[in-house]
Parts: sequence; structure tokens; C-alpha cells
Amino acid sequence: MVYGVLRMINFANSEIFMFGTFATIIISRDFLGNVDGSKSLPLPKLILTITLCLVGSMIVSGLVAVFVELVAYRRLRARGTNKLATLISAIGISIVLSESMRIITHSRPTLNPRVLEKKSLFEIAGASFRIDTVLTIIFAAVLFVVLDRFVTYSRLGRAIRAVSMNEDAAKLMGVDLNKVISATFLIGGLMSGAAAFFYTLTYENTKFNVGFTLGLAAFTAAVIGGIGNIRGAFFGGLSLGLVEVYASSILGTEWKSVTVFIILVLVLVLKPSGIFGEAVQQTRA
Amino acid sequence: MKKTLLELKDLTIKFGGVTALNEVNLKIYEGEILALIGPNGAGKTTVFNVVTGVYKATSGEVLLNDKSLNGMKRHHITKLGISRTFQNIRLFGDMTALENVITATDVHKKSGLLGGLFGTSRARREEKEGREKAHELLKFIGIDEYSDRLARNLPYGVQRRLEIARALGTNPQILLLDEPAAGFNPAEKVELAATIKKIRDAGFTVLLIEHDMSLIMGISDRVAVLDFGQKIADDLPSVVQNDKRVIEAYLGVPADAS
Amino acid sequence: MKIIDNLKNGNLRDSGAEFWEKSSPTKRKILATSFIGVAALAPFMGFGLLDTPISDFGAVLVYPVGMFILMALGLNIVVGKSGLLDLGYVAFFAIGAYTMAILGTRTSLNTWEVMPIGIALAMIAGLILGLPALRLRGDYLAIVTLGFGEIVRISALNTREIGGPNGIANVPTPPSIGPIKFSLNDQKAYFWVVLIMILLTIWMIRRLSVRRAGRAWEAIRQDEDVAELMGVHTLKYKLWSFSLGAGIGGAAGVLYASKTLFIAPEMFTLNVSILILACVVFGGMGNIWGVVLGASILAYLPERIRFISDARLLVFGLALVITMNFRPDGLLPRKKREKIVANSSREVTS
Repeated sequence: MVYGVLRMINFANSEIFMFGTFATIIISRDFLGNVDGSKSLPLPKLILTITLCLVGSMIVSGLVAVFVELVAYRRLRARGTNKLATLISAIGISIVLSESMRIITHSRPTLNPRVLEKKSLFEIAGASFRIDTVLTIIFAAVLFVVLDRFVTYSRLGRAIRAVSMNEDAAKLMGVDLNKVISATFLIGGLMSGAAAFFYTLTYENTKFNVGFTLGLAAFTAAVIGGIGNIRGAFFGGLSLGLVEVYASSILGTEWKSVTVFIILVLVLVLKPSGIFGEAVQQTRA
Repeated sequence: MKKTLLELKDLTIKFGGVTALNEVNLKIYEGEILALIGPNGAGKTTVFNVVTGVYKATSGEVLLNDKSLNGMKRHHITKLGISRTFQNIRLFGDMTALENVITATDVHKKSGLLGGLFGTSRARREEKEGREKAHELLKFIGIDEYSDRLARNLPYGVQRRLEIARALGTNPQILLLDEPAAGFNPAEKVELAATIKKIRDAGFTVLLIEHDMSLIMGISDRVAVLDFGQKIADDLPSVVQNDKRVIEAYLGVPADAS
Repeated sequence: MKIIDNLKNGNLRDSGAEFWEKSSPTKRKILATSFIGVAALAPFMGFGLLDTPISDFGAVLVYPVGMFILMALGLNIVVGKSGLLDLGYVAFFAIGAYTMAILGTRTSLNTWEVMPIGIALAMIAGLILGLPALRLRGDYLAIVTLGFGEIVRISALNTREIGGPNGIANVPTPPSIGPIKFSLNDQKAYFWVVLIMILLTIWMIRRLSVRRAGRAWEAIRQDEDVAELMGVHTLKYKLWSFSLGAGIGGAAGVLYASKTLFIAPEMFTLNVSILILACVVFGGMGNIWGVVLGASILAYLPERIRFISDARLLVFGLALVITMNFRPDGLLPRKKREKIVANSSREVTS
């Protein structure tokens, strides 16, 4: 989404995600006192935990995203600086965020006490579906639909699409550019925050650099599907996930990120527009 | 018999659902000044973009000296002899006026990075020649007093003329000028007309996009008219001026050009 | 006097440029020689205010200071001059280092013999990366180069034959040149080699800047589409930019392996790429002396001030953000082309 509006990648997305994971743990472990981790919580407390953590994570990530926009992008955008400078600024803020967390956590991982036992719910074709996986899939689908509807039908969604298509015309039509861009970052942050919650729920730990590998995979997924296109991102995420798993089983997990990178390069070189999206090659006169 | 320098043959450009150029046939003869006119959106700049290799033809071709330019890389097309200026000035702002032009002369040099690094005699000679040629061109266009100033600090009129000088630096056979008079006052337009004539007399062929009718009628040998991607007229200025379809396309009588 | 005015305005670059221009050729030779002389004496200046509490001053001058300057100059060609964002520069450094380590421990070649091989391999790597990557736009180029850097590191990590996670040890030191010995305890000799490499690099960049290559890079940086329409073979010159930058990184890597005697994949992380980028950006993209100054400061400070050392990467990240927001041209902004061209006319026609 940020790409669609700014025509630039949000480098700090990984860190926005990472902060969400920490928020989840802090809410669950410190605010709600779920420290036991030996078995599933009783249903009422479980629902409370999930709701609060999910919402909290989304809010925290959303706020970090808005912060990133204000600090790294806004000033340069106002001055009309070139893309290179903005890119570097974004990389800088990304580093500041991850390093700050690294120093705070002394480079050690942080554990999320278990609130949900990973019981298998059912099986399809020999693949067992755990309860957390099912929850993640359901929520991702719901979120996808909500986002799609929002972007298509709501006023703000229309404004965002207008800006992504023709910034000047949008401004002439009375769209407040700053608000739209902040809103776009916020929404992107909310999405990342949701992802962060489910990640923490499933893997039960996090670290300051958790965003990096995932961020890369997310970016690759977006490129495969066609960057700037939400439906493409969905498709891209799905296909990349599958490829990753197959590649891991054939080559071994150490080569996972290399595989992702190579796929990225292949897609960018062979079919830069991805399946649905726009060209990423040099813009032509 | 006039020699055809550049030819658009059944040229069609489609972008998704939009047809920008529709089977356009146009010949540009050596040594002439041909003006390309038409209402906004008619496809004039698209023609420039196809000829210079920025857009790929959907069908049809562009021929330079009977050789098809289809699929060629842009810098190669420039080397073969096509050069242009731009509607919104696109100079190398951080370079001096002189350097902008020298960069254009680099295209025909045989020495490259290694020659420059090791100071081969050929490299040194070509460097000197390029610099001298750039000076000459700036003088020819009449702006050599600005040669050592940064391009982005130059006055508007000088910038427009610098773009022309730079384009000439590639030693083109045909020079494409995209609205070179935009933003000029009448006196400057008269000066520009004289300059364009001077360029033609020096041996260059000129293809010109312009909206100012008196300028066009004054210097063009021929005028071609585009409307909605199609050529609707292609003749002497006086004939085109009175063509009913041209008049309709512009929704009214063109500016008094008598 | 203009120089004083410029200094008052904080315009270091222009006052320096003024001073240089006003000087006759003889004066310039004297200035240049004395400058080099002072630089050569740097290893002897490690006392008092300049002393580095954490590691030996002499060692610090070689790495990180000297090597960062060298690598920043290399990256400057790519990022500063040509406007191409490369986030995987560490890969070339790694290739140079591993070439030295592998050839040094398995063949009888010494550092000086490995050097051209290391440079060549790095340049080839630059070409291999550049061919697909340089067709892409800014942000995509950045990601792909970042990926390349990681691929090199991960490949080294996973390949047992070249040490895997344990790396390679017992890399030989360079053979003595006459009475000058290369040893871990006294790093002066290494420093002088780095200094020579830096001077060579500066000479090369300055020379290319006023010739066709430099013009091509500038044109590409400012408006790549128009550059191509004006006849600049953009892909070729972008590849040259990448290769040259890579070669310089490779050279630094060969010397680095010879100095630290033991290398491992963990020394060649993304962080290093970012660090070098910060040096270029902070110092002044495109400006040789800016880059030298920026790299010197950013490399030296963490060694001098302990608390910065612990948060080194954080400080560098901040440097990136703050520089871009407040002084996007860096400490010493790109030299005005007016000066370069005016000066070069003297050189070219002579």
C-alpha cells in the first residue's frame, strides 16, 4: 500500500512488524500476567488475551509506522528530495529502530509464554492443521476482505487510490496529501501488527531482528504478486510460502533466505511486473 | 528527387486500450523543416518518443535512411543520427552548460573509460576535440558566454537554447525539437525562428512540434497535422492552413498567419 | 578575502577549492606532498587526545579507518557519482578476503600475488550482479544488491569446504618489503599500504571524473533517461561503475585477510554495507574529500568513545537519518562542476 502511494518501498516495515511482536508479548505476559505457559488458558481469559494482544499489536505497529513516516519520509517529501535520499533516510530509521531494540533486549530473544496449546484440529491429505494455523488463516482472509472493501468503497480508501494513480489530480480534488500518506502508513502498520500477533502466537518468541527475514519474504511476495496491488500481494504471499517450504525440504533450511532472494531476483529480471502489478523498470520518458 | 531521411511507415502505438498513433505514414525529407502540429493529445510527443526509441511500435516501423529502427537501443539510435529536446527542459542541472554539450559529443568517441584512465593519445585528442566542438556549438547558438555556469542556474531562455546546443552535440542527421518556443515572448520567438533556420542551413534536418502558428508558418517547409493519433494533413503550410479538416480539429480558425 | 568569508559561512568545501586554485602548480606539488607526508606519519600520532582506549591506535588506523576510507571511496563511485544504491557492498569485501584466505592457505601465493586475483574476482562478481540488477529502478536495485550481499555471506556460512561458520585461519601475512615488516604487533606497514591504495584510488577517480566516464556517471545520476537519449551507453557505464567499486572493495578485502589472519562469515554482514554507506552519505556523496572525511570520523569515533562503540550501528543509522533530513549533501557537498571543469581545461589542453 505504501508503495502504491509513494512509489517507494517502506524499508522500515520489518521493524514495524518487530515492534508489534514485542507489544504482543508485553501485553500478554506483563499486563495480563500470562506467565505460566504450560497449557491453554481457560476460554474467557484466552479470548481476552487474544483480543487485547491483537488490537494492541496492531495499534503499536500502526503508531510506529506513522512515526517512521513523520521522521524519515515527510520532511524529505516536502522538500522534493530525490528518491535516493529518501531511501537512505528510510534505511537509517530502520536501523535506528532495530538497533534500539537490540540494545534494550541485549541481543537476546524474548519468550512469549504459551497461551494456546498447539493442538491439531483436523487433517487434510495427511497435513495436520493446528489451531493456531487455522486462526491465522481465517483472520488473514477476513483482514484481506476488510482491506479490499475498505480500499474500494470507503472515502479514505478512494483517496488513497486516487493519490496512487495521480498525485497532482488528487491534490486538486481537495485530497489532503499528508493525511492520506499518514493514513496509508497507519494501515500498513495495522496489517503488520496483525501479522506480528499471529507470528508471536505461533512461534512463541521474538528477537530484535525478527523482522528482517520476514520483511524480505514479504517484499518478495509483494513483488511476485505485483507490487502496488493488494490482491497480487495475497497471491504472492501464498505462492512464496509454498515455494519456501518445498525448497526447505529439498535443500535444507539454511538455504531458505538464499532461495527467497534468488526467486526475487528471478522475478524482477524475468517478469518485473509480477503477476498483476506495474512495471518496476526504469520509468520511461 | 528529394531524399527521404526519416519515414514513419504504418506506425501504430497502442497502450493497453488507448491507441496513441494509428497507422501513421509520414516522410521527412533531408534538409527540410517539418512542423508537426495538432491539438493536445493528438500524439505528437508520442511520435518523438517512438522515433527516439523510448516507445516500442505496436505495429509498423520507423526507418532512418531506409533502415528500420525497431527494437534498437536508444543510445544506438542517437548514434545513428537522431537527437531531441524536451517539452519540460531536461538538462543535466548539476553540470555546466559546456559540459552538457560535451557529454552529447561523447557518443561518437572511440575511446572510453580505459582510454581516459590511462591517458591514451586518442583519448586526449578526442577529449580536446569534443571540448572545442562544444564551444563552437555554444557559440553557434549564441550562448557561449554562459559556458562555465551551472545549467540549473541559467535563465530560462538560455536553458532552452542550451538544450538545442546539447542535442546538436550528438551530430544528428535529424533534430527533433519539442515545443522549443514554449514560454518565449514574441521577440525571443523571432530569434528562435532565425536560429532554427540557421540550423537547417548548416545541414541539419529539423522536425518540430509547436503550437505557435505564426512561428510555424514562417519557417516550415512542410506541415503535418495529427489528430487523435492519425495524420489528417501533410503539405505546404499555406495549403494546410486552409484545410477544412485541420480547421475543424482545432475548433476554429488558427491564429492569423498572414 | 573569499577564503575567510567561506570559512565563516561554514563552507569548507569552497574555501578549500579556492585555496587550491589560487596556488601555482609548484605550490600544489608542495601542498600535496606535505599532505601525504603528514598522512604517512599518522601511525605515530596515536597519543593524548587521539589515543584509542579500546584497541591499538596503529591497528585502528588500518581497520576500520583506512579500510573504511578505501571502501567508502569505492562505494562512492557507485552511490555518489552514479546514483546507484548498492546495499550489498560487503560482498566484494568478502570475496577479496576469502580469495586471500583460500589462496593464501592452500597455495604458495603471497598477498601481493593474490591481490590482482582478488580484485579481478571482485570485479567479475560486480559484473555478474550488475547485469541483472542494473536494469532495475532505485529501490529494487537496493533490495537486490542487499540480497546479493547476504547470499555471499550465507553461502560462505554453509560451505564446509571454505570453513563454514568457522571461517579460515592462519592466513599468511604479506612478505616483507625490504626492511619493512608486516606483523600483528606493529601495523604501520599495513597502514602505509592502505594509504598507497587510497591515494591510487583517489588519483583514479579524479582522473575519470573529468573524462567521458565521469560525465557519463554524472549524466546517469542526474537523469538516466535523458542521458541515454543523448547517446550515453548507460548500461555499460553503470556496469563499469559497479565493477570498479567492487574491485576496490575486493582489494580492501585481500589486505584485510592478510592483516587479521583469520576470517569468518560473521565479519561480512549487512551491517558493514550499511556502515560504508553511512560514511559516503555522511561525508558527502560524490565528493572525494567529503567521503574521506566522513569515513575517517565515523570509523574513528567509536574507537575513541566507548559508549559510541557499543551502539555503533545505532549511531550510524542516526547519522543516515539526520544527514538526509538536515544536510542531504553531507559534510562536504558535491564539488561544483564549475570548478572541476574549469580546472580540467587546463589539464586536458596541456
